[in-house]
Amino acid sequence: MGIRSLAVSRSRLQDLGLFGPKGRLNPHCLLSSWPCGAVSWGGGGGAEDMVVLRAGLCPGLTEEMIQLLRANGIRTVVDFVSSDLEEVAQKCSLSYKALVAVRRVLLAQFSAFPTNGADLYEELKSSTAILPTGSPSLDQLLDSGLYTGEVTELMGAPGSGKTQVCLGIAASVSLGLKQHVLFLDSTGGFTASRLYQILRARAEDGEEQLEALQRIQVVRVFNIYEMLSALQELRDRLSQQVVSSMGPLKIVVIDSVSAVIYPLLGGKHSEGLAIMMQLARELKTLAKEFSLAVVVTNQVTRESSTGPLKPALGRSWSFVPSTRVLLESKEATWEKATTQRVASLAKSSRQPTGIQVELDIGNGDVQELSPATLTQGL
Amino acid sequence: MADAFRRAESGTQLLARLEGRSSLKNLEPYLFAEEASPVHGDVIEFHGPEGTGKTEMLYHLIARCIIPKSDGGLEVEVMFIDTDYHFDMLRLVTILENRLAQRMEEMIKQCLGRLFLVNCSTSTQLLLTLYSLENMFCTHPSLCLLILDSISAFYWIDRSNGGESLNLQEMNLKKCANFLEKLVREHHLALFATTQTLMQKSANSAESFFPLKLQHETDTDYRPYLCKSWQQMVTHRIFFSEQCNSGNSKGFTVISCHLKRNHVVKRSFSVAECGVQF
Repeated sequence: MGIRSLAVSRSRLQDLGLFGPKGRLNPHCLLSSWPCGAVSWGGGGGAEDMVVLRAGLCPGLTEEMIQLLRANGIRTVVDFVSSDLEEVAQKCSLSYKALVAVRRVLLAQFSAFPTNGADLYEELKSSTAILPTGSPSLDQLLDSGLYTGEVTELMGAPGSGKTQVCLGIAASVSLGLKQHVLFLDSTGGFTASRLYQILRARAEDGEEQLEALQRIQVVRVFNIYEMLSALQELRDRLSQQVVSSMGPLKIVVIDSVSAVIYPLLGGKHSEGLAIMMQLARELKTLAKEFSLAVVVTNQVTRESSTGPLKPALGRSWSFVPSTRVLLESKEATWEKATTQRVASLAKSSRQPTGIQVELDIGNGDVQELSPATLTQGL
Repeated sequence: MADAFRRAESGTQLLARLEGRSSLKNLEPYLFAEEASPVHGDVIEFHGPEGTGKTEMLYHLIARCIIPKSDGGLEVEVMFIDTDYHFDMLRLVTILENRLAQRMEEMIKQCLGRLFLVNCSTSTQLLLTLYSLENMFCTHPSLCLLILDSISAFYWIDRSNGGESLNLQEMNLKKCANFLEKLVREHHLALFATTQTLMQKSANSAESFFPLKLQHETDTDYRPYLCKSWQQMVTHRIFFSEQCNSGNSKGFTVISCHLKRNHVVKRSFSVAECGVQF
């Protein structure tokens, strides 16, 4: 298909090193080593994703050719492709035909291929899945559920139930669809006991519950580099199609993305924004290339004290998710903590925005649990 | 001898040039301030914050192009370069189903056969992809619309990669803009590109974009941040914003500016199941 990924293996990542020359964590190195169209060493300063011509980069590119090109100021692939090959053939006394052949191979290697719309549609029809969230009203809001190939965002104030909904989604996909789930927890809000509680409410059989728990892989990440590393590991695994303890994976849940990005933003330098956009890019390419549903949670802010609620992390992030749901508490009386929430659709390409549904993030069962246990893990 | 060699074109190029690209005049008259727009060689920029209908408008334009003439479309081919990984094929199919007289699979696939999609993940890959697409424009004479969604996708990453030097930061985008201009000119295309409102409008009123008499009518959050090469090649700039409606329905506004002739026009639209409706 037209979408090609150049997976960077873990060991190569370690070779390239996350650490700059002075031994400090260097975001420039991080950015240049992430899966992008071309990965290479920067010559020191400057755009680090320029691939420098070297012998063996493609068939037909010999060491002598490289020396001659370099003597005429052509060092990178971009220089080569954008130069006038007849002039180069004359100045470097190289064969025009050879240069044209090399150019063709380099373009084939480093550019993206176009796909025909009809072919893409055929492929999507067979690979797109809609995953149930475990809550029928939320499914209705999302037009049947979570679509693979997209990033869906749940935003809400602290205590609005984002983690509960994420746990519900993980339980539903693992139990109902028998698919594997990757849960990246950056807040420490994931509790296995709460997940078990949810599973017990939905399935009778102890064996089933245990199997469902085993299909959910939890990775605790507490900064952006750990998160990117976990996503890189996932990409490696999916690219190599290793059939291991991890079976077919259809969903990645990240709770939350704002917790790891907030420390990067602010300040004069735009590196934090660049890393955030790199994370965004990674999430979207994972979703599209491997047909996964990606669910992220985010905080909310307001522009003024009476303005509407907006997602946190700024304008640049707001373009990233395809679907966005706002979770709010229903107006509750002070005596009793309620498990009622209101979910409204803030962004969608399929449904009109503004529609609302009510959710209950508790078990739904009348249990002998005390209120303290119910709010645990929220 | 080298000169003659340089000017020779292949048979397909000659045919493409002589046959001419189909007219795009009836693409979407509501979007443009002037009649008979867009023409070949136009570069149209869609600018607006998130959730204002830019991508929906692109689906609308794609549908207008790929639907056959018998159903009211232009029956031309479209090249869509997606740098955001945002393109929703299922949404496009829903729009097509609502617009075609017969909702048959065959018809839909025939229409989709006129659409080409590419995904690019870095600005360098975008540049190299543009070079490799050049060949495609020669061999497909009915390919007259090029859409780039969005051209600002790499802004922060490029800025960080370029370090302290503004030149280095903008270099990739500048090269892309220059090559795009060459492609649009040589192959007689129309280019639609979206840019996102990443920055707040500066409080400095001297940076105002519109002539004074129109300012009270138009209130846009526009602050140019892309490189000069791109800003200079844009011929039409269309601003998208949300419309505050009293009722439940959500409306959007477009303010369309023809940059050379300083014509500005304001229109509204809404988004339904069948796509954009003016």
